[in-house]
Amino acid sequence: MIADVASSKRSGEPRIPVEDRLFSLVLALLATETGLLKSEILSTVRGYAERYDDRGGNANLERQFERDKDEIRDLGIPLETIESPDRPGDNQALRYRIPKGDYDLPVDVRFTPDELALLGLAAEVWREASLSSDSQRALTKLRSLGIEPREPVIGYAPRLRVREAAFEPIRQALDKRQRVRFRYLKPGEREPRLRTVEPHAVVLHEGRWHLHGRDVDAGAPRTFLLSRIVGDVQSLAGRPFDPPPADVQDRALADLRALRQANIADLAVTAGSDAEVRLGKRAVEADDDAGVIRLHYTDAAVFADELASYGPEVRVLSPSTLRDAVRERLAAVAATHRPGADR
Amino acid sequence: MSASPRRPAGMRGPDKLVFLLALVPYLLEQRVVDVSEAAAHFGVGEEEIRDAVRLIATSGLPGATGTYQPNDLFDIDWDSFEEDDVIVIVHHVAIDDAPRLSAREAAALIAGLQYLSASPENAGSASLAALTEKLRAGASAAPSRLAVAEEAADASLAVVRRAVASGRQLEFDYLNARGERRRRRVDPLRIASLGADWYLQAFDHLREEVRNFRIDRMSGLEVADEPIADHSDRPIPETLFQASDTDLEVVVDVAPATLPLLADYLADSTTTEVDGRLRVTLRLAHVHGLKRLVAGLPGLVTVVAPEEARAVVAEWAEAGLAGYPDDDPGASSAPADG
Repeated sequence: MIADVASSKRSGEPRIPVEDRLFSLVLALLATETGLLKSEILSTVRGYAERYDDRGGNANLERQFERDKDEIRDLGIPLETIESPDRPGDNQALRYRIPKGDYDLPVDVRFTPDELALLGLAAEVWREASLSSDSQRALTKLRSLGIEPREPVIGYAPRLRVREAAFEPIRQALDKRQRVRFRYLKPGEREPRLRTVEPHAVVLHEGRWHLHGRDVDAGAPRTFLLSRIVGDVQSLAGRPFDPPPADVQDRALADLRALRQANIADLAVTAGSDAEVRLGKRAVEADDDAGVIRLHYTDAAVFADELASYGPEVRVLSPSTLRDAVRERLAAVAATHRPGADR
Repeated sequence: MSASPRRPAGMRGPDKLVFLLALVPYLLEQRVVDVSEAAAHFGVGEEEIRDAVRLIATSGLPGATGTYQPNDLFDIDWDSFEEDDVIVIVHHVAIDDAPRLSAREAAALIAGLQYLSASPENAGSASLAALTEKLRAGASAAPSRLAVAEEAADASLAVVRRAVASGRQLEFDYLNARGERRRRRVDPLRIASLGADWYLQAFDHLREEVRNFRIDRMSGLEVADEPIADHSDRPIPETLFQASDTDLEVVVDVAPATLPLLADYLADSTTTEVDGRLRVTLRLAHVHGLKRLVAGLPGLVTVVAPEEARAVVAEWAEAGLAGYPDDDPGASSAPADG
């Protein structure tokens, strides 16, 4: 057998496919109680053993193993590393295993056909976003329970899109509890400023993605609009920061809701216009005779952009900060589109 | 990880691993299952199932010497498999149960459920909360901190939903982007959404074709008694923005970071750089949509051509500006470029 392996190596036979190697590795690590040494894994597990050289010089193979470990952990498989009590700190003495109890879906986590139909719809929500592959993998795992979902909800295609390039790097950093650094353009400031943040939660509020985290320089919690991040998000190496409280995302949303509740705008809308119909649906109070509506908003700059799109159909009565913001926007659009304006 | 040529297009190595880890407990639970049935259950091709079964049947534990002895391997009933296309695992090792979800997988489903809670029939639903708890319990680590705020659902949405669910015609006043208001009668087919915007895709009796209607532009909704006709021969468009021959092509300069916001309107993928901005061509139904789009991205998008399109945008902004005649223009400074 060993002779076979050696000859296949020499003849340059095609390598074992990735999924075959990963599958063999997971099986081997699940079956061991005490854990396997790296040398045992590399010399015996299919996908590694064929390329293992017992005379040494297996650096490539070791790097392969490191990458595979990361891939497997990324899939939510609890791959453990155990230090040798006799030789602490010795990397060659580390043992690896996957405890079966932590691997198996708990027996009380089972789903009804109705619930699976709803989860199918929840996964569909992400079909145009990077979370699509995560949610599809989750569905594949749940299909192993052998339950047929109820017929999918027809006539219903809700969907979330993520258009901010910053979303994916921040979500990765969130999971790994890594600090991130990015340039952020705050409304009212002319130039973006470099910010270093411990990302605690990513939340969607009023159709916009926000990052909530601890601003390292300010030493205080801050919330950022992902759409205002300029350029790349850099993930900083180093030890993971302390985990935030478990309900931090709910608190971030509550803060945004409170902010929204505190901001009140009075708007005059033209009867029969798009602004009247669409903004009117969000009004908390309306005086139909006067054509005035009152509504809440979270972010003055974002809301001013929206109001500017309605052109003459809406006029801000108060507050004056919002009024000024809308007027400035309209003036800027008019200036760049006037005949003879520099394009 | 570098892409590998051995890997068939579609599923990546890790996705295939998850598929294998999910297929084993399914096959054990079913005991005897047709290849076609397994393929339907997982939503994959029959050949993918056969390939996976062949791989599983030759996999197992290396043993101390790495020799993969028969008793350490999975085994299947090869006769049933090869002659009848039926899968029966007769010996299994190491795994027998469904794997847990990863923190990210659970978080993606939980956030998707939170978004669904905006729909009328799910709003405040107790089953969503229970389901979320199950997902948490089924994850191998605390789900990533990702959350979607519950938004107050438009009351019109509930009426539209009722019409779709009962298969009855719907009437409403609709204000289009041109500012024209008309009573419409439609056969509602599907509710679609994109983030905070909800649409009804419906067969329009007036135009005799499937159109998209923004639900927030509807008023005076009434579910009629008449049932909808059979439209199974008409495909419902997957995209909410339909191109047509009468579309207008407009050249604009856009700040690079803003380009994704215009993705739905791009006529082609051609971009040229002009003074740090990107010059692209947009395709829109009419200038009325354009003026709203450009005014809503102030300072970020500038129309270059045609001249009429520039004029419409300028007029729209000037008209809006005329609403603030008494304000001190000196107080306003032009916003920073980009």
